[in-house]
Amino acid sequence: MDLELNDIQQELASTLNKYLRSEYDAAKREEILRSDEGISREKWQEFAEMGLLGLAIPESYGGADMTFNEVAVVAEAFGRSLVLEPFLATAVLGTNAVLLAGSEEQKQAILPGVAEGQTFLALAAFEPGQRYEVTTPATQATAGADGAFTLTGEKTNVLGGDVADHFIVTASQNGELGLYLVAADAEGLTRVAQRQADGLGSANLKLDNVAAQRLDAADAHSVLSEVIDLGNAAIMAEAVGVAEASLTMTAEYLKTREQFGAPIGANQALQHRAADLYAELEYARSMALYSRLAVTSEVAGAEKDRHRDVIAAKIVLDRAARNISQESIQMHGGIGMTMEYPIGHYAKRLTVMTRTFDDADSLTAELAALGGLIEPQAADLS
Amino acid sequence: MDTLLSAEERDFAQQMRQFYRTEIPEELRFKVATGQELTKDDMVTSQQILNKHGYAVPNWPVEWGGQDWTPVQRHIWLEEMQLACVPQPLPFNVSMVGPVIATFGSQELKERFLPATANIDIWWSQGFSEPNAGSDLASLKTSAVRDGDKYIVNGQKTWTTLGQYGDWMFNLVRTDPNVKKQAGISFLLIDMKSPGVTVRPIQLIDGGHEVNEVFFDNVEVPVENLVGEENKGWTYAKFLLGNERTGIARIGGSKVNLARAKAYAAVTKTANGTLLNDPLFSARLTKIEAELTALEMTQLRILSTQAAGSDKPDPRSSVLKLKGSQLQEDISELLVDVLGPQGLDFVSDRVQGQGLSDLPHGAVDALPAYFNTRKVTIYGGSSEVQRGIISKALLGL
Ligand SMILES: Cc1cc2nc3c(=O)[nH]c(=O)nc-3n(C[C@H](O)[C@H](O)[C@H](O)COP(=O)(O)OP(=O)(O)OC[C@H]3O[C@@H](n4cnc5c(N)ncnc54)[C@H](O)[C@@H]3O)c2cc1C
Repeated sequence: MDLELNDIQQELASTLNKYLRSEYDAAKREEILRSDEGISREKWQEFAEMGLLGLAIPESYGGADMTFNEVAVVAEAFGRSLVLEPFLATAVLGTNAVLLAGSEEQKQAILPGVAEGQTFLALAAFEPGQRYEVTTPATQATAGADGAFTLTGEKTNVLGGDVADHFIVTASQNGELGLYLVAADAEGLTRVAQRQADGLGSANLKLDNVAAQRLDAADAHSVLSEVIDLGNAAIMAEAVGVAEASLTMTAEYLKTREQFGAPIGANQALQHRAADLYAELEYARSMALYSRLAVTSEVAGAEKDRHRDVIAAKIVLDRAARNISQESIQMHGGIGMTMEYPIGHYAKRLTVMTRTFDDADSLTAELAALGGLIEPQAADLS
Repeated sequence: MDTLLSAEERDFAQQMRQFYRTEIPEELRFKVATGQELTKDDMVTSQQILNKHGYAVPNWPVEWGGQDWTPVQRHIWLEEMQLACVPQPLPFNVSMVGPVIATFGSQELKERFLPATANIDIWWSQGFSEPNAGSDLASLKTSAVRDGDKYIVNGQKTWTTLGQYGDWMFNLVRTDPNVKKQAGISFLLIDMKSPGVTVRPIQLIDGGHEVNEVFFDNVEVPVENLVGEENKGWTYAKFLLGNERTGIARIGGSKVNLARAKAYAAVTKTANGTLLNDPLFSARLTKIEAELTALEMTQLRILSTQAAGSDKPDPRSSVLKLKGSQLQEDISELLVDVLGPQGLDFVSDRVQGQGLSDLPHGAVDALPAYFNTRKVTIYGGSSEVQRGIISKALLGL
C-alpha cells in the first residue's frame, strides 16, 4: 500500500504551488474576478504551457498521457489559490466525456486544442426544475439524414459554459440518453452567461434545432456516471486545497486578532472548535484520496464499486466543507463577511462546489439505497 | 401560540394582524415575503404608517409616543409584524437610540430628537464597533476631546449598518483615556453631515452594500449633543444592548422563512414525488420546526416572568439570541438546498428572457441571504459572547 504522492506528483505540486503563490495571489485573483470575462485567458495559456491542461489526455491527442492522479494534484493546488478559470469544466468534465465517448475523429478534433489551451469545454447536463437529476433529459435529439443530429431543449447551470467553445450536451432520443457535441457558435443556440456565487462562470442554454454530433463510442449512462464521478473526485481534491487554506488562514487569525487584551485564539472555546475543524480536514483529505483511488483503480471489477465509493467520500467531505466554511467566517467575526478579506471567498467556493453535482442529502439517500458500504450481519442472528 | 394567550391577548393579536394587513402596502409586504431588498423609501414609508397609528415605538415612554403595553403585547406586536412581512421600524431609531435619549437625555434632547426619531425624519446609524473594538467593545479608541463648548472627535467606526442613509449617528467615544476603559466612555450624537465625517462602503460576500466604515477627522460636535453625563456612556450602552432582548430571536421571521422553504419544496419535483416528502429533506425541515416551537415557548416563558414584575434584563435572553440566530442560519441553508444547482448563481431576476424558462422561486435571494445571514451569529453579541454570558451569569462558572 502506498498512499503518498510519487516523486513526479510531488514535484508538480510544489512547482505549481510556488507559481500560484506569486502569480495568483489574492490581489491578482481579485483583478481577474472583477474583469469582464471573470477569467484570465493569459493565465489559461500559462497553464497550458506548464502542461496542466492535457495531463490526462493521451500523447496521440497532444496530451501528457498521465492519469487522474496528476489532475487531482492540480485541482488541489488550484483550490488553495481559488483559481477562477474553468479547469474542472474543461480539463475534467469536457475532456473525459470526449475521451470516453468520442470517436477517434472527434477526439482528434477537440482534445489537442484543449491541451494547447485554445479550447474551452463544458458539460451541459442539468435542466430547469430537475435539480440534480441528469439521466432523463427533456432535451430532445432528432436524427437527420447523414448521421447528424439536431437538439432542442434547455440546459441550466452549465459550469464554464460562459466561455465554452464546445458543449457536451445530454439529450434523449426516443427515450434513450445520449451525449452530443455542440459548437458554441452553432445556429439556434442561445447562451446566457451567469456568474456563480463563488465567482466561477456558468451559463444557461436554449437549444432550438441546434446541429450536433453524437458521442457514441460508449454507453451514455456509464460515460455520464464516470464523468460525474471524476468531476466529484476533482471537486474533492480541490476542496481539500480550499479547506486547508481556509483553516490555515483562520488559525493564523486566531493567533493575531486581539480582543480583551489577548489573541482570540487564547480562548479554549475557539481552540477546541479549530481542533475539530482540523479533524474534519484530515477526513476530507482521506476521502479525497479514497475517491481518487476509486476513479483510478485498475483492479478488475473495481468500476462496480467506483460510484459507491465516490459518493461515500463526498458525504464526508461535504460535512467537512460546510463546517470549515461556516466556522471560518464565524471565527473571523465581521471581517469574515467582507469581499475585501479572502476568507469569505473561500467559504463561498466551498459552499458552491460541494453543491455542484449533488448535495449531502441526495448522496446520503443514494448511498443508503445502494445498501451502504457494510453488509448487515450479526453473530446472534442467523 | 393562540392557545397560550388570554382572550384579550387573542383579540389584540387579531387587531394587529388586521392592521398590518390592511394598512401596510401589499407591495412592501410582498418584497419582505420574497426576500427582496428594501429601499430607504420602503423602510421610511412603513415606519411612518406605523408611527401614525402609534405602532412604531410602543416600547418608549407613553409621553413620547409609546404604548402602555405588557411584555406579552409587545411580543405579539412584533411577532404579528414579522408574520405579516411588514418592514420593521429601524432598530437604530426605535430600540437603540430612542430609549437611551428618553431615559438618560435632557428635556432639550428629547424634544429635539424623539418625535423625529419615531417618525424616521432622522435616520440613525449606530457607531459602536471599531476595527479593534468588536467583542471587546469597551476598548474603543475614537476620541472626543472637550474644547470650550464643543468636542473634537477623531477616530474610526466600522460595520455601520446602512450608514449610507444616515443623517445622525449615536457613538460611543472615549472622553477619558486615563481611567478603567469602561469608565472613560461617553454617548455622543453626531450629525453625519458635519465637516470631517467620511462614510466609505464595505462590500459583503453576498454582493450587497449594507455596512460602512465611518471616519472622523477633527469633527466638531456641540457639547449639548452629549447624552446624559460625560463618562457614563458604558452604562447607557449596556442599557441599549439589554433593550435588544425582545425580538432578538426573530421567531416570526423564521416562521415565514421556514414556511417559504416548505412551500418551495412542495413544488419541487423529485424522482419519487416532491422534495417536501423526500425523507432527508423533510427530516431536516421538521426538526427545525419542532425546535422553533421550543424557542418560542422559551421566549414566552421568559416574557411571562417579566410580566409578573421583573423589569431587569434577563440573562436568559442570551439563550434566545444563541438559539434563534442558529435557527435563522439553518433555515437560510434549507432555502438554498431546495434549489439544487439552480440556486448557485448570483442573479438579479427570476425572469431570464431570451426564451429561457424562469428560474425557480427563491433563486434570486437564497444564496445571498445564506451568506448574509452569517451575520446573525456575529453581531448583537456573537454566539461565543452569548455562551460566555450563559456560563457566567446563569451557571456561575
Ligand atoms: C453585517 C454586520 C452589521 C453590523 N452592524 C453594526 C452597526 O451598525 N454598528 C456597530 O457598531 N456594529 C455593527 N456590527 C459589528 C458587530 O457588532 C461586531 O462584528 C461584533 O461585535 C463582533 O466583533 P468583530 O467583528 O470585531 O469580531 P471579534 O470580536 O474580533 O471576534 C472574532 C471571533 O472571536 C470570537 N471571540 C471574541 N472574543 C471571544 C472570547 N472571549 N471567547 C470566545 N470567542 C471570542 C468572536 O465570537 C468571533 O467569533 C455589525 C457586524 C456585522 C457583521
